[in-house]
Amino acid sequence: MLRWAWLIAVKDLRIEFRARGRFLAMIAFVLLAGFLFAVSLDRTRVDARDVAGPLVWLVMLFASTAGAGRAFDAEDEAGAFRHLLLAPAPRPAIFLGKAAANAALVAAVAAAAFAAFALFLGIRAPGALASHAGVLLPGVIGLAATGTFFGRISAHSSLGDTLLPVLTFPLLVPMMFFGSTGTARLLMERPWSEVAGFVRLLWAFAVGSMAAGSLLFRHVVDD
Amino acid sequence: MGSKSATIGGVAFAATGAAIVLAAHWMVAFWVPTEASMGLVQRIFYVHVPAAWTTFLAFGLAALASAAYLWLEDERADAAAVAAAEGGLVFGAIMLVSGPLWGRIAWGTYWTWEPRLTLTLLLWFTYLGYFLLRNSVRDVRRGRRLAAVVAVVGALNIPLIHVSVSWFRSLHPEAVVLNPEGPTLHPDMLVTLLTSLGGFTILFLGLLWLRYSAEMAGRPSDAEPAEQTPA
Repeated sequence: MLRWAWLIAVKDLRIEFRARGRFLAMIAFVLLAGFLFAVSLDRTRVDARDVAGPLVWLVMLFASTAGAGRAFDAEDEAGAFRHLLLAPAPRPAIFLGKAAANAALVAAVAAAAFAAFALFLGIRAPGALASHAGVLLPGVIGLAATGTFFGRISAHSSLGDTLLPVLTFPLLVPMMFFGSTGTARLLMERPWSEVAGFVRLLWAFAVGSMAAGSLLFRHVVDD
Repeated sequence: MGSKSATIGGVAFAATGAAIVLAAHWMVAFWVPTEASMGLVQRIFYVHVPAAWTTFLAFGLAALASAAYLWLEDERADAAAVAAAEGGLVFGAIMLVSGPLWGRIAWGTYWTWEPRLTLTLLLWFTYLGYFLLRNSVRDVRRGRRLAAVVAVVGALNIPLIHVSVSWFRSLHPEAVVLNPEGPTLHPDMLVTLLTSLGGFTILFLGLLWLRYSAEMAGRPSDAEPAEQTPA
């Protein structure tokens, strides 16, 4: 099954690399959002480090939601997704492969978000970058899995992308809380021990969303 | 059971529930003693707690019926799920309105980002999404199946709501009935609360019964094609 997931993830990333449109739009969105937050904040009253953690996570959330909503568009237009379903790949493998490809894109978005906030808000992320990555990684996986799963669901709806945030945001709020608090604490140079509990909960959400998505994906794609 | 007898049973259940809820309101207004620290506003408790219980019962039933629909693909399970989810939205709205009215006096604010409050609102939005999705998919059967998936995933939030009180610092009062050391309520308050709880539960079950019967009666038989215009 993992081999199928790997093949599908590589295929999706190859398509993304060739087209680049969705990825570049997500990165542009992140950079512009960082810029807009920077010009909107009253820096005489608000310390950028106090708000950067939640803002980075919000930008990740919006970019990944917008990106996930389009994840199936190219394949749907060409009828390729229907052909993919005819392949002998198990449904969980298809989900895991597409979620993995989305996770790679969201990880790039997270890196761009950090760069944008460092550039526009003048934040120098203290401590090892590995600590920040340790908080972001489970969040990236959780966001990608949830976005992929509900992106496929909302593709069937006449409400389309309008519906996607209504379905995903309520489920992602706990993850956003743990993630943004964890990142904010690291930016305020708090020790890892104050973040470790949040990271464990983030991993629980990430693994839970991957498992639930794998188990339920066949109900989403099968006729 | 025929459609007519199902309707009579549902009406009888709902009417009994409504009568008990009215009796509970009389007890709240004229019989139960006033709580010493919070005063009159504490009486909202006799509506808020039963509404909360009924909301979780309804969403729990909707999730179970949705899981059964995904497993068995039985139309009756889907009809039960949609009926329960509608009840959950209605009683959830009562809970989400009565809670802030009480909170304005008790906490000094209509709304606070208290974990249980926040997650309950999110659960309510999840089931709002359930109906938006269900009514916006052209293929009726697919819409039912996707909505069932949303209900099952949304139900994962219910245990989180329950444990969130212990995860975070909560403003919500400690349990006064299901307390390990026994109920801490005044006996008259406990009787009023249990009456209201019973009334809300029976009223909900009656409405569920009626809505389920109406849903099943409105569905085409297997021989007829099921198509609908998206909302």
